Amino acid sequence: MKTVYEKPAVFKEAVTNYCAGCGHGIVSKLIAELIDEMDLQEKGIMVWPVGCSVLSDRYFKMDTFVAMHGRAPATATGIKRARPDKLVMVYQGDGDLVSEGMAEIMHAAIRGEKLSIVFINNAIFGMTGGQMAATTLIGQTASTAPLGRKTETSGYPMRMAETLATMPGVSYSARCTINTPARIRECKKMIKKIYEMQMSDQHGLCFLEILSPCPTGWNTTPVNALDWIDEKMVETYPLGLFKDEESE
Amino acid sequence: MKMEMLFSGIGGQGVMALGESICAAAIKAGYEVTFVPFYGSEKRGGRTMCNIVIADQMESPIVAKPSIMLIMDERSLEDYQDTIAKDGTLIINTNLVGIEPSCECAKIVKLPFYDMAEQVGTVKSANMVAMGAVAQLLPMIKYEDLAGEVEAYFSKKPKLIPANLEALRIGYETEF
Amino acid sequence: MEKRVFMEGNEAMAEAAIRAGCKLFFGYPITPATEVLEYYARAMAERPEEEIMVVQAETELAAFSMVAGAAASGNRAMTATSGPGFSLGQESMSFMSAAEIPAVVVDSMRPGPGDGEILPAQGDYFQAVKGGGHGDYNTLVLAPYSIQEMCDLIQEAFVLAEKYCNPVVMLVDSTLSKMREAVALPGYTEVPDPDSKPNALRGCGKEESHHIITSGDGAVQWGEYNDMLQEKFKKMRENEVRYESYEVEDADIVMVAYGSMARVCQSAMRMAREKGIKAGMIRPISLWPFPKEAIAAVGDKKILVCELSAGQMVEDVQLSVKDRDNVYFHGKLGGATPTADDILSKIEEVIGA
Repeated sequence: MKTVYEKPAVFKEAVTNYCAGCGHGIVSKLIAELIDEMDLQEKGIMVWPVGCSVLSDRYFKMDTFVAMHGRAPATATGIKRARPDKLVMVYQGDGDLVSEGMAEIMHAAIRGEKLSIVFINNAIFGMTGGQMAATTLIGQTASTAPLGRKTETSGYPMRMAETLATMPGVSYSARCTINTPARIRECKKMIKKIYEMQMSDQHGLCFLEILSPCPTGWNTTPVNALDWIDEKMVETYPLGLFKDEESE
Repeated sequence: MKMEMLFSGIGGQGVMALGESICAAAIKAGYEVTFVPFYGSEKRGGRTMCNIVIADQMESPIVAKPSIMLIMDERSLEDYQDTIAKDGTLIINTNLVGIEPSCECAKIVKLPFYDMAEQVGTVKSANMVAMGAVAQLLPMIKYEDLAGEVEAYFSKKPKLIPANLEALRIGYETEF
Repeated sequence: MEKRVFMEGNEAMAEAAIRAGCKLFFGYPITPATEVLEYYARAMAERPEEEIMVVQAETELAAFSMVAGAAASGNRAMTATSGPGFSLGQESMSFMSAAEIPAVVVDSMRPGPGDGEILPAQGDYFQAVKGGGHGDYNTLVLAPYSIQEMCDLIQEAFVLAEKYCNPVVMLVDSTLSKMREAVALPGYTEVPDPDSKPNALRGCGKEESHHIITSGDGAVQWGEYNDMLQEKFKKMRENEVRYESYEVEDADIVMVAYGSMARVCQSAMRMAREKGIKAGMIRPISLWPFPKEAIAAVGDKKILVCELSAGQMVEDVQLSVKDRDNVYFHGKLGGATPTADDILSKIEEVIGA
């Protein structure tokens, strides 16, 4: 029998703790495949956030730093400035990046830090049980917005990819999703791009926002969660390329 | 030997530069020296004061009873005169101090440092005149070393050296 | 050792740190520590051959995390701040201790609470020594009292941080930071290769990977991890006590003071002796571990603790001796420092009591 697919070599022997239908598993797998294909075990150092994906550190045979909540871009700055020849691979969720770490991501962008940041946007706080995030949609319910997010009390969804794209220190900013096989393949290409751009040492901050399903946080089934991305999220968070220094 | 000094004035008068130069000369003379600056929070025209201790061994850097007190402006006199040592010398810049000192000390010296500095062309050199005056009370410091510090201080603007050396000499030779 | 130069505390300490191979400095401007950041920034610009890397962070929160990242990669890194910034860094202190990261943190104390004043104080003792962060952790706390000691100890701080894989705090105050005195700047030291540090992040390749993570995996694992840390702290307690004793043998009254306050007490001690009062002093140099045995050995002499605070170290002195009623306290709040005369008066009062 021919082997058509293997678990990536960089993965440890472990069963992930993610919920059925969680986007973290898909993106982790894409990153793992890229580590194998691009031979990044020695080149790369990973920086993980606090959130559901804090568990991802357990699955990779890579040197990793699980940063304090929100501080991943600052921690990554310390690592990259100390070891500039390494590929510093940052991964954050919306609680980590948009709330706790808003100053850190903005200043990493202001300084044009040579980092590759994968931002998982599932419009909710997953790990702590489904509270409203700054990325939660208007009208979307959450444990801290039982009647749905209201603009009068809680403002508007934060569009990170567009905002960062306006900044000169940011070299690449895009948004994609992973709710179909074609989009998953496209997402992998974009993750590869932000890693390659850092390794070329020619660019500043490279940022990829991924709309990711959270069936538990959205109180729905895994399949419905994939549909919800198209039905509801894309209207607020359009997919697309907002900045790419390499194609300018 | 332990000599405690307090110099105080307004930001911009060069009180710190004066203090640092004296410290550098004292170190050349082989003493243990400490210099502690104190600033008011205003960016301009605020308090600048320093505590200087010249001694044979390491001492507290915070001055208790200064035996030499140099006062360049009126508020400084009000704030600090009561701390002067009974056997100390108080030197006052009469150009900016209109009130009479009320403290008890061995000697009070009143000099118009701004007017004296005009002799070399600029009131900015008033701190150098004051330094010369203070140096008269510091026999353990060599005049040449102090002059050397003036030269070093203005090394990036050598045109200003002669006037400031002259100001130093004027202060050093003025009788009190 | 070179001939002595007349230098400001902050700048001399920064130079000593550079010479100890600490090329990475992350900080946020705050009086009275700002000159350390500025000195490093100038060095980065003026001495490119030394490959110094300075980032002025957006906040102290970020600066502490940058230090953690850089130190985790096996390189020497430090920050310097004051009380308000050190408070922001407390989560980091707990984190770095848990993650066994050898960072060096300088806190130049100013009076609080709140933003207070830009003057000297010793009100961060509790925070630094007992640990202002959450959880059970300890860090070495070193308290120099002269610019020479600041330079010598900052170089040792990196070695100690690496020896125990734990952050080291250097606790100074505004007087020490901003004053100038003669110092013989220490030389360049040996610096271990970053890859030689046990858990350094370096890109593991096919070797065992290195993980910096501080969340546990259930009560048993996390309990065992804590036991391991506690063992480490126990070794630090046993091996790293530092203090200096001055004329304690025949003393009738022993002062206990650290940092710039110890300088004042030292002068007061001499003045007292000149007046025939047998005064001595114990000067803790390590505030954690606290030199409790040295203080206990003072026996039944009167003890006068002097601090620029409402009384923080005095509690550790009281814990060290049996007869707490024999421990007196003289403190000053708000940023003014007692003079040697003030302390002398207090000595006379206590002796007469």
